[in-house]
Amino acid sequence: MTSTVDTPADAARPAAPSGLLTVARAPRWLRYALLAAGLLVAFWLPNGLYPAVAVDILCWALFAVAVDLLLGFTGLMSFGHAAFWGTSAYVTGLVAIHVGLPFPAAVLAGALTAALLAVPIGYLAVKRTGIYFAMVTLAFAQMVYYVANEWRSVTQGENGLQGVPRELFGLDLSDDYYFYYAILPIVLLGLLAAWRIVHSPFGRVLVGIRDNPARARALGYPVHRYKLTAFVLSGFIAGLGGGLFAVGHRFVSLEVLHWTTSGKAVIVVVLGGIGTLWGGVLGAAIVVRLEDWLSFSGFETIGLVTGGIFVLVVLLFRRGIWGSVAALAHRWWASRRR
Amino acid sequence: MRRTVGVAAASAAAVMLVAGCGGGGPQSGGDEKLTGGKIVLGVLNDQSGAYSELSGKNSVTAVEMAVADFKAKHGDDAVTKDITVETADHQNKPDVANSKAQEMYDRKGVDLILDVPTSSAALKVADVAKEKKKLYFNIGAATTDLTGKSCNKYTFHYAYDTYMLANGTGKTTTEQVGKNWYILYPNYAFGQDMEKSFSAAITAAGGKVVGKDGAPFPNTSGDFSTFLLKAPTLNPKPEVLGTMQAGAELVNVVKQYNEFKLRDKGVGLAVGLMFITDIHSLTPAALAGTTYTDAWYWNFDQQNREFADRFQSETGTRPSFAHAANYSAAMQYLEAVQAAGTDDADTVVKGLEGKEVNDVFLRNGKIRAEDHRVIHDAYLAQVKPQSEVSEPWDYVKVLKTIPAAEAFAAPSSACKM
Amino acid sequence: MTGFLQNTFNGLVSGAFYALLALGLAVIFGMLRVVNFAHGAFYMLGAFGAYVLLSEAGVPFWAALAIMPVGLGLLGMALERAFIHRLTRLDPLYNFLLTFGLTLILQDLVKLRYGVQSSPYATPSALSGSVDFGIFDFPTYRVFILGFAVAVCVGVWWVLTRTRIGMVVRASTERPELTRAFGINVGRWVTPVFGFGIGLAGLAGVLAAPMRAVNPLMGADLIIVVFAVVVIGGLGSIFGSVAAGFGIGLVQAWGEAYLSQFPIVSQTIVFIVMAVVLLWRPAGLFGREEAPA
Repeated sequence: MTSTVDTPADAARPAAPSGLLTVARAPRWLRYALLAAGLLVAFWLPNGLYPAVAVDILCWALFAVAVDLLLGFTGLMSFGHAAFWGTSAYVTGLVAIHVGLPFPAAVLAGALTAALLAVPIGYLAVKRTGIYFAMVTLAFAQMVYYVANEWRSVTQGENGLQGVPRELFGLDLSDDYYFYYAILPIVLLGLLAAWRIVHSPFGRVLVGIRDNPARARALGYPVHRYKLTAFVLSGFIAGLGGGLFAVGHRFVSLEVLHWTTSGKAVIVVVLGGIGTLWGGVLGAAIVVRLEDWLSFSGFETIGLVTGGIFVLVVLLFRRGIWGSVAALAHRWWASRRR
Repeated sequence: MRRTVGVAAASAAAVMLVAGCGGGGPQSGGDEKLTGGKIVLGVLNDQSGAYSELSGKNSVTAVEMAVADFKAKHGDDAVTKDITVETADHQNKPDVANSKAQEMYDRKGVDLILDVPTSSAALKVADVAKEKKKLYFNIGAATTDLTGKSCNKYTFHYAYDTYMLANGTGKTTTEQVGKNWYILYPNYAFGQDMEKSFSAAITAAGGKVVGKDGAPFPNTSGDFSTFLLKAPTLNPKPEVLGTMQAGAELVNVVKQYNEFKLRDKGVGLAVGLMFITDIHSLTPAALAGTTYTDAWYWNFDQQNREFADRFQSETGTRPSFAHAANYSAAMQYLEAVQAAGTDDADTVVKGLEGKEVNDVFLRNGKIRAEDHRVIHDAYLAQVKPQSEVSEPWDYVKVLKTIPAAEAFAAPSSACKM
Repeated sequence: MTGFLQNTFNGLVSGAFYALLALGLAVIFGMLRVVNFAHGAFYMLGAFGAYVLLSEAGVPFWAALAIMPVGLGLLGMALERAFIHRLTRLDPLYNFLLTFGLTLILQDLVKLRYGVQSSPYATPSALSGSVDFGIFDFPTYRVFILGFAVAVCVGVWWVLTRTRIGMVVRASTERPELTRAFGINVGRWVTPVFGFGIGLAGLAGVLAAPMRAVNPLMGADLIIVVFAVVVIGGLGSIFGSVAAGFGIGLVQAWGEAYLSQFPIVSQTIVFIVMAVVLLWRPAGLFGREEAPA
């Protein structure tokens, strides 16, 4: 077989059929059972895992869902989402330190700032699609990184923003175990919001644009404006995660804005399953847990492991874990019905 | 079908990975002499990134050597024979350092965290130590904030800091090499600190800073020629180029310094922060004659050399000052626990404060009570010409020993314990 | 004036690296529609290869300049056959992701074997002097890099415009649909062209070894700037990538020299230029507007 490339227009869409649709075809009781199981795991998590790691998983779950909202449901791969995650982390930290608001308000301020930043970046980026979009977002995120790096009077530069308080009406949240439960409702709200977006008429238009932009345009949808709105919403949800991450670690470092953070978010989504939404949550749990384990294992080359797993997933399991399991379940279901 | 099995296995493994980890809630400490009946030392440093050769895993070996020496010295009188060493890689990421430090104190029962390079990570771990009321000896970070505005009761700063690096080199080079300086620094917290300390030391020694420039950091183009070309055109012409770049950026500056033949144009080179591994990277030929301040040098005297030989037989390489400092810090902590008879942090801190010590790393050492700076002799070193290098890693000669009291700044008023 | 000329010259030297890297990216993209994230890693391998050849086999710079591009080109061809080929029928994003994963692996493999500390590499003695330009003198090695890079770019241009292979490559780069419509078999050139692009990255790496720190991460941040360069030049345009490469080198050097009191600007100038170009000409300065997708 020659490796002739088809024209970009023919090039395949994301290989995973929306896992969500697959699950939606599953019987109602199964969907409720899955939801209940997921919630149970979420409530149990800090009892089975080191609470600080569990907190990280929650934050990264939001980040992954935000990236998947674009990648899986709008067909735009942002390789620069650290810009929103990180900007929100800094704003949340600054608001918490200097204004002394309760942390949910600070996180909200951070996420709103991230959404605001997403407007100009998105405006420029959605002019391009596909691979261009990835490169443009990557470059803009790196620009935000340099600005934070140079703007030392505010961000404290390399030393990082230390001493972000966990203020919540005088409650003692210094123990990560309790902090986990304090942020769980916010994270669940964020996930619910993402789910609502995907299932709204707006979300269906996005999927329509993803699958056939020309047709969507012909039907009279302002494609750029839809994409930009999705981009801003995604920036907001990533910002929620980033803000919670800042409060969770009680400090912010430049690392949150570095392009490797954007790369990690994409790895998480691809591993979990593009276009599955909940796959990102699963991916976040696995990657955060794996990195935690690797750094105690004395293994020197974390990149080799994550890179290797990632390459395998891209080559062999493009549907990711959630997508593959959902497809399996669906096939089994279909064969039983026959 | 094979694919099906693969997917199933992968997801099963994933679930196990997430779940497979016991323990959780807060742990309670008993009222025994040693928490958990044993001493646990934790080395938290960079084992995969830019600082992994300077310190990294070999520092774990150094700490293990200290444990073995402690056991051998005290034999049956040792406060315990159950001493273990835990380690984690913070990958130079402060958020990872934060989680690992908490995890070490909470779950691994670590009594003392050692090393922690990079200032942002170091400052964060100091915060964790303060909150958990457990000890922390920083070795790998250079920021003076650890003993300044961010100081706390449980944090001690070993080895070096920006003041030590700048003061010795700035003063002695001004006296011995040339009075007019051009300073090139990376434009971020570390570089700015270094520039200020250098300028102060140069002026105090009767020299003059003719020009100074902050280069972008990180410098993605890797090019410093704009600054290097500027140096010889200044009036009066600087006799010394002081570069504050570190690691790979230092390598770039030195390569380009040689490319533009600044030494031949009468501009000597002084380096703010250089490790023996940097000299190894650049080769002594590229750096011959360059002066810098070192916290410790393996071939300085017989005592150091013996340690270096032992270290080499364990690791296959010569120790950097960070390795020796990790050894010393672990040893001093164990001795303090031995003297106190308990690993209760407050008691051990009381025993350490004001203590005067001499060991393979600390010469005329003193653990200052005011700010927990561990002061000791430092060394002004000069890179040998290639022709004088007689064995691998023997790259420098010590020009001058800087007495402990001069080597470090007086306790900062910003530090409130 | 002298200072300005010197800064200009240095900007062109930095630009030479961007141009060589962007040229390789552009050729690969043109043929395969793949944006090779691992380009920075291959640049690093080029420099590291030169170091390993010298320190472990005593192979001098000049030989490395020939060996590494060819060797890496072959490695690139092997990787293309083994991995990238499998994904070319899918969305190009998958190959972007694949090469991102490969980057992590390549970096860590080198790290595992040689550590993260920079490795020494001296300027070849024949090029270690300086050239007198009358008003200022300039390191011979820099003059050599600039001359060599320009020669390579001109050479590539010659091949692309004057040979049949070049015609096919150029046609399929700049008018992919049309080329296939003419029934030209593009497929057989895919693997060699990928190898060629990688070879250019390796060449840039060897050239960088004497003047830049040689370590496993040397290509990691650089690749982001090169991405910005190709977006500015227009990803499909071979001339655009080279022109933008030299142009960005100049802009960066001038920014560093004359905007040093505004470090935020001089640090982000590449991205500012990119934003302006995207506003003004979304397809890049020399790019062709892609079919709406």
